Amino acid sequence: MSRDPQDFLPLHNNWFHILLSLVGADQHGYGIMQEVLERTNGTVRLWPATLYGSLKRLIADGLIEESDERPVAELDDARRRYYRLTRLGRTVLDLECERLQAMVRMMQRKRKQEAY
Amino acid sequence: MNPRLSICLSLYRRLASAYPHEFRMLYGEDLDRLGEDAIPEVWRRYGLPGLLRLLADIAIQLPATYLTEIRQDIVYALRTLAKSPGFTAVAVLSLAIGIGMCSVVLSECQSIEGPPPGVRDPAKLATFVWSQVSYPYFEHYREQHQVLASATAFLGLVPFAVAFTWDKRAHAERFYGHLVSPEYFTTLGVTPAAGRFFALETERPGMAPVVVISDRFWRKHLGADPLAVGRALRLNGSMATIVGIGPKDFLGAWPGNPADLFVPVTCAGSLAPELSGDPLHAPDREIFRIVFRLAASVKMRTAEAALDAVTRNLDRENGIQHDRDRKGRVVRLMPAGTVMYITPEQSALVDTFDVVLWALVLALVCANLASLLLARSSRRRGEIAIRLSVGASRPRLVRQFLTESVMLSLAGGLAGIVLAYGMGRAISSMPVPSEIPFEYYFGPDLRVLAITLAIALAAGIGFGLTPALSSVHTEIGLILKEGAQTPLRGYRRFGLRNLFVVGQMAASLMLLLVTWYVVAGFLHTSRLDPGFETAHLNLISLDPVRDGYSAEATAALLTGLSDELSRVNGVRAVSLTDTVPFASMAAGRANTRMSAPSGDGKSGQVLHSAFRERIGAGYFAALGVPLLAGREFGRRDQQSDEPPGTKGASAIPAVLNQTAARELFGGEDPIGRSIREGELNYTVVGLTRDVPPGFLSAKTVATMFIPLTTPAFSENPAQRATILVRGTPGRDTLAAVRRQVASLHPDLTVFNVHTLREDIDRMNAFVEWDSAIYIILGLFALLLASIGLGGVTAYAVVRRRKEIGIRMALGASSRQVQGLVMREGTALVLVGSVLGLGGGLVLWRSLSAFSDVLARSFSTSASDSLFLFGAPLVLAGLAMLACYLPARRATEIDPVTALREE
Repeated sequence: MSRDPQDFLPLHNNWFHILLSLVGADQHGYGIMQEVLERTNGTVRLWPATLYGSLKRLIADGLIEESDERPVAELDDARRRYYRLTRLGRTVLDLECERLQAMVRMMQRKRKQEAY
Repeated sequence: MNPRLSICLSLYRRLASAYPHEFRMLYGEDLDRLGEDAIPEVWRRYGLPGLLRLLADIAIQLPATYLTEIRQDIVYALRTLAKSPGFTAVAVLSLAIGIGMCSVVLSECQSIEGPPPGVRDPAKLATFVWSQVSYPYFEHYREQHQVLASATAFLGLVPFAVAFTWDKRAHAERFYGHLVSPEYFTTLGVTPAAGRFFALETERPGMAPVVVISDRFWRKHLGADPLAVGRALRLNGSMATIVGIGPKDFLGAWPGNPADLFVPVTCAGSLAPELSGDPLHAPDREIFRIVFRLAASVKMRTAEAALDAVTRNLDRENGIQHDRDRKGRVVRLMPAGTVMYITPEQSALVDTFDVVLWALVLALVCANLASLLLARSSRRRGEIAIRLSVGASRPRLVRQFLTESVMLSLAGGLAGIVLAYGMGRAISSMPVPSEIPFEYYFGPDLRVLAITLAIALAAGIGFGLTPALSSVHTEIGLILKEGAQTPLRGYRRFGLRNLFVVGQMAASLMLLLVTWYVVAGFLHTSRLDPGFETAHLNLISLDPVRDGYSAEATAALLTGLSDELSRVNGVRAVSLTDTVPFASMAAGRANTRMSAPSGDGKSGQVLHSAFRERIGAGYFAALGVPLLAGREFGRRDQQSDEPPGTKGASAIPAVLNQTAARELFGGEDPIGRSIREGELNYTVVGLTRDVPPGFLSAKTVATMFIPLTTPAFSENPAQRATILVRGTPGRDTLAAVRRQVASLHPDLTVFNVHTLREDIDRMNAFVEWDSAIYIILGLFALLLASIGLGGVTAYAVVRRRKEIGIRMALGASSRQVQGLVMREGTALVLVGSVLGLGGGLVLWRSLSAFSDVLARSFSTSASDSLFLFGAPLVLAGLAMLACYLPARRATEIDPVTALREE
C-alpha cells in the first residue's frame, strides 16, 4: 500500500535536496552530496551520516530506490550504490515544488498590494 | 597525509563501524567511502571546524540510528505478540497475578513491621515485650543513661469525650489518645508542626490542663484552623488548652492504634479518669507502656540486661514478684520502631512464612514464563532461520527476542502493580473488628514491588534470551531443509521443559497444600461459633465518667440501670459487664494468676495465666449460656459493701469456666472450693460452659468470673460499662432501650450500639477475607501449573507432528496416538505430585516447628484426609485435562498434511 504523497509535505529540507539531485540521473551517495553542495553554492552540505540516515528513510518510505542501471563504464564506480527516484518520490517532489511556488506567489501578491 | 586528516579518518571509521549491523550491511561501505572522499574536501573548504562538524554528525546520528532500530523492534514485538493473543494473555496474566500476589503478601508484613510515620530513627526504639510497668519504675528506668538516650511512659489508647465548645451540655464525641510522660515527643524524635510539645519543666502536677493534637485531628475537626494553638477543648468535661500540633502523619508511638490527643500524665485525674488514684506514685499500678530510645551504639541485648537488673532491684525493694522467663529475665525488650509491636520471634515467623509463599509463587511464575517462552522460541525456529538467511544479524535477532520478553515482563509487571494497588485498597478498606480505632494501611510496599518486578523482568529476559541464543546458533540450512521442524527426535526424558513441568507441578502442589492447611486451620480455629443465639443480644456501651458523672453518681446509675431497662417492653434480660464477650482486644479483661489451696493449707494447683472478668447479675442468663452447676450472681453479690481488695474480707463469690475448673481441680466438683488470687479469696459458686475466648484464638482460656460490684465502679472509674440486653425477636428492642436511656439520663452518651451477631459477623468476615487471599493464592498456583503443563504438552505435540503423522500413516489409531501423548504427561504429573507432596510435608513440618499457631492450624487440617488426598487428585486431574486437550488435537493431525509440510 503506497502512502498518500501529501503525507510527506512539507518536505524535509535534506529530503528535498536529495530528491532534487536524483531528478534526471541516478546518483550515488557521494554524488548527491557533491551536487547539493554545488547547486546551493556550498550553503547546504549533507554530512555523511545524515545523508545515509536520510537515504535509508527515503528508501523505507518508498520515495527512492536502489538503481540497477549503471552509468557508462568509464564513469561507473562499481563499488557504490546508485539511487533513483520512484514514482512516489517524483510525485512528492512535484507537489513540494508546487507548494513552494504557491507560497512564492502568495508572497509576491502581498508585495504588490503593499506597493499600491 | 595530513596527520589531522588521518586522526579524523580513523575516528570516523571507528564511529562508522559502531553503527547497527543492518545499517552497516546496507550502507556501511558507502558510509566509509563517503567519509574518505569527503574528509580532504571538507578540510580544504572549512578547515578544522569542518572536520569537527563531520565527526559530530556521525556521532549524533549513531544513537538515533539505534533508537530507530529499537523502535522497529518494539513495533515488531507488539505485532508478534498480538498475533498470538493466547500466549500473550496467559504470560501477562500469570505475571500480573504473580507480581500482584507477591507484593500483597510481602507488603502485608511491611505494613505491620514498617516504621511508624513521623518518628525519627525508629531502629533505636525499644519496648518491653508485652508488659506494662508502674510509673515509679519508669522513673528509675529513665535514669539509665549509660544504655538509654531517653525513655517515655504512656498510657493508651485511652478514650476522651471531646466537645469543641465551652457549653457543658454540648454533645461530646469520643476520640482516642495517649496519656504521656513529658519525654514522649523527644524520645520519639518528633517535632511540632505548630506550638510546643511537652517538657519536664513545663509539665508539673497542678498546671493548667494542656493537650497536643495530631495533624489529622487538627485538619479534620478543627478545620486546619491556623489559630488552633491556644484554643481550648473540653476533654472529659474539663477544659484543656491546645499547646501544640503534631507533624503530618504522626499518630503516636503505635500508629496501628492511632492516637489523636496527647495529654501529659501530670494532668489532674478529673481530666483523665485513668489517672485517678495517683498511679504516678504507686509501684503496683503496672499500667504504663514504655518506649526507650537506646543510647548510640548500645545493642538491645545490652540494654535488656541493664534494665533487667534495674527491674529486679526495684522488685526486691518493693516486694513485688515478677515471673522470670527461661533465661531468668524479668523483662525483655523488643523493637518499638514498627507500626505494630511484634516480637522478633513473631516477626521471624511472619517473614519466613510470607517469604516462602512469595518464593514459591515467584518460582511458579518464572517457571511458567520460561516454559512458555521456551516452547514459543522453538516454534519460531523457522522464522529465525528465514530472517538469518535474508541477512538479519544474530545480535539483532537476539535483541528482537529480548525486546519481546521485556515487553511481556513490563506489561505483566504493570498489570501486577495495578492489581497490587487494587488489592491493597480493598484490604485497607476492610472493617476491622475492634472497638478502639485500628489503622491498617495496606499499600503495596515499593521495595517489595521493585524486587518482584526486577525478578520478573530478569526471568523474562533470561528465559527469553536462552532460547534466542540457542536458536540463532543453529545451522540455518538444516532447519530450512527440515521444514519448520527439527529432525525427528525421540522423547527426551530429562529435557529442560520436562524439568520445568515437574518443578511447576511440585511447587504448585506445595503452595496449594500449605495455603490450604493454613486456611483450613485458620477458618477452623478462628471462625467464631459462640454456641448461643446472638442475633437479639444487643450491646450498649456507656461511659458515665467521661460524661461528667462523679464516681458515686456512676455507681448509682449503673446499679439502677439494670432495673430501669428490664422494665422496657421487649427486653427479656439485662446484665452489666466489664468486658464484651469475644472481644479479645477489649481492655477490661485482666490476665492474672490464681491458685487452689489444697486441704492442708499449702498452695495446690497454680494457674499461671487465667482471665478474670467482672460481670453483673444475670450475665449468663442474658447471654443465653446455661450454668453447668451452681448458681450465677444475683443482685446481692453485686451490692457487696466492701471494696474488693480489702484484706480479710469475706470470700468473694466466683464462677469458673470448664477449663479453669479442670485445670485447678482436675475432675473434682469445683462448687464450694476456694481460690486465691494474690491476697484475695474466692469461693466457687458456679460452673459455666467454655465459650470461645474470641477472635483468632483457638484455645479456650481458663476464666474466673467475679461480680461487678458497686464499689468496683468507683474503684476503676476509667472503665466504661457495657450493658447486655437480650431482646425479643421481631421487635425493635434496641430503639426502645435507647429511648428509655435518653429520657431517664439525657446527659448520658450511648455509644457503640450493636448486636453481638454483628460483632461476630464482622470478625468472621475479616478472618474469611484474609483466608480468601491465601485460597486465591493456592488456586492461582493450580491454574498456573495447569497452564504450564498444557503449554508444554501442546508444544510437544506440535514438535512431534511429523512423528505422529508417520505413525498415523503407518496405521496407528487415534487412541494410540492419544495414549502416547497422555502417557508422557502422566509421567510428568506423577513425578511432580510425589515431589510436591513430599515438599509440602517438609514445609509444613518446618513451619509447624516455627510457630504454635501454625502447628495448631496444621494439625487441625491434617486430619482432613479429604484434602490431603484431594488436593493432589484435583491438581492431577486438572493437569491431565491440560494434557488431554492437546493430545486430542494431535489425533486431528492429517498424516498427509503433516508429512507434506516437510
